[in-house]
Amino acid sequence: MTQQEKPLDFYKVSHQTVVDALGNQTLIDCLDRMLLIRNLETRAEAAYQQGNIGGFFHSYMGQEAIQTSCLQAVGHNNWFATTYRCHALALLLGITPREIMAELFGKETGNAKGRGGSMHLYHDRLLGGFGIVGGQLPIATGAAFSCKYQNQKEQIALCFLGDGAVPQGTLHESLNMAALWHLPCMYVVENNQWSMGTHISRGVANHNYITYYLAKAYGISHYRLDGMDFFNCYGGFLVAYQEILATGKPVLIEAVGERFRGHSISDPGLYRSKDHLKERMERDPIVLFRNELFDRNILSEDEYKTMDKKAREIVVDALQYAEESAWPDVSTLEQDVFAP
Amino acid sequence: MQLIEMREAIRQAIDEEMTRDETVFIMGEEVAEYNGAYKVTKGLLDKYGAKRVIDTPISENGFAGIGIGAAMTGLRPIVEFMSFNFYFVAADQIISHACKMYYMSGGRFSVPIVFRGPNGAAAQVSCQHSHCVEAIYGNLPGLIIIAPSNAYNAKGLLKSAIRNNNPVIYLESELLYNDKMEIPTEEYLLPIGKANIVKEGSQLTICAHGRMVKLCLQAIEELESKGISCELIDLQTIKPLDVETIKESVEKTHFCVLVEEGHIFGGIAAELGFQIQEQCLDYLDAPVARVCQRETPMPYSKVLEKETLPTVERIVATCLQTLAIS
Repeated sequence: MTQQEKPLDFYKVSHQTVVDALGNQTLIDCLDRMLLIRNLETRAEAAYQQGNIGGFFHSYMGQEAIQTSCLQAVGHNNWFATTYRCHALALLLGITPREIMAELFGKETGNAKGRGGSMHLYHDRLLGGFGIVGGQLPIATGAAFSCKYQNQKEQIALCFLGDGAVPQGTLHESLNMAALWHLPCMYVVENNQWSMGTHISRGVANHNYITYYLAKAYGISHYRLDGMDFFNCYGGFLVAYQEILATGKPVLIEAVGERFRGHSISDPGLYRSKDHLKERMERDPIVLFRNELFDRNILSEDEYKTMDKKAREIVVDALQYAEESAWPDVSTLEQDVFAP
Repeated sequence: MQLIEMREAIRQAIDEEMTRDETVFIMGEEVAEYNGAYKVTKGLLDKYGAKRVIDTPISENGFAGIGIGAAMTGLRPIVEFMSFNFYFVAADQIISHACKMYYMSGGRFSVPIVFRGPNGAAAQVSCQHSHCVEAIYGNLPGLIIIAPSNAYNAKGLLKSAIRNNNPVIYLESELLYNDKMEIPTEEYLLPIGKANIVKEGSQLTICAHGRMVKLCLQAIEELESKGISCELIDLQTIKPLDVETIKESVEKTHFCVLVEEGHIFGGIAAELGFQIQEQCLDYLDAPVARVCQRETPMPYSKVLEKETLPTVERIVATCLQTLAIS
């Protein structure tokens, strides 16, 4: 078991080791996925502004390295649950941009038949984007319970939550029972610094250390990762995942980053200075990742531009698909309230 | 046939379903080593072991959610609340997750789970252990609500609930656990969504569920001694509501009294009464009347407790008033 020595240090990962382990093509594929997420969020935002998407819309922009690296490390054959900021995870699990965009548009071809919208996307292994802060925690813990109950030793549950969910009681209840019962669950706090407009320092006591000492308190491992650094995240997630497989016990991870957009699309972000955001955006996870691939001669600028263009085309196609898809037949309104 | 208590009938249902299906397990506070706060789960730990009979910490929201997550990933949990008043702590998991999941996920994830435990008043357990929760749940599409009134329907309905693919709220009554009844020894199931005509009669329809059925039977005895023939309908399932059975009865008797242990404002009786006026207005010879808990939290003092709850006297008086008999 690897434990960091100082609570505020990021888990140490050698980038070279990650490059060697994943190989050039996989690294390019991961960057490609991050670009697709970024393009999808960008275009969907525009579609929202044009009135094609309603309700709430929470962009994952700025956090792409975290879930992309995590999925690369743990694979798809696990249970996943996340917050209402769920477009990226659905995409990474293989839900098509078309299906996601159609859901955002509220069309019948959407991922949840137009019933869930932006906050509620699903996949056979994705239990949902959850609209209640911290609501997904016990549910993901229940999925880990299922893995253990059914003796599926090769599977774990992954639960993503924001820093805003750290003060919720469900975190403590879930960590307690998962630690008590040895449930294979990876809890990933994506600390993007803001629970809506409240900085973590104003909402969480001892905020720099809270996840570290929570893990200590419940007797489980803790990893602190640089959420802007794909390599660091990948290395940390992989070790944490292997630890869960080996021990059957949960781990608590904090991936530290910054979201680049408002809490939701209607949030102008007045609580955060432009300088602060500009400074943080200098560590844009896509730019950092891309530049490192350039520096290592794994990717050329032209190839990158081609990838970005292709991602844009995929999303434009998804927008067109969503636009052309039919509205749900209103006669289906009362279907599926109950399962057969 | 076997003569057993209602708690034993519930235990048998759990036991039989756990034997039948390995994905069924039970979790809750004190269900295992303590053998259940009300001994409903007595002996199950010995028989099935700690993997399937699970003592939880006092974390209702947490273990309700663990149950929901387990239900979404292939298991069929039974979650016991020591009192349904403790469900309020778990309200988020039931209301925002369990009951909306199948619809919200476009039919991708069903939640086959039973939440069960004692509901409503016991004996002087005061304000925070006596609330009837069915009216609150009744307002939430996606939940099935069952309220057994005796050992027979308790067993048959719980077995159906465990096999159902939706979240089921199964409301017991602490005051009925000791009630004995002769029920079949061989296996049986009762359908969800079907009311039971406990007693046929011609002059007045009385509808009730759960413990109130017992009170209504006593009231009917008194009314019959006055020569009044009453029909008693036990809802058994509150949601989906078997309005057809009620409708047929009211069309026959033309008078209706609704008895509910819970509060009068916005209660199950309010919904029933509305549906009756929608469907049977031309048949009614008097307004539909209600006997419910008065609008107070549950007081501790037994004198006050009796006063706020429906009583046999209040039911009899309301029936006579409805029939305009003094």
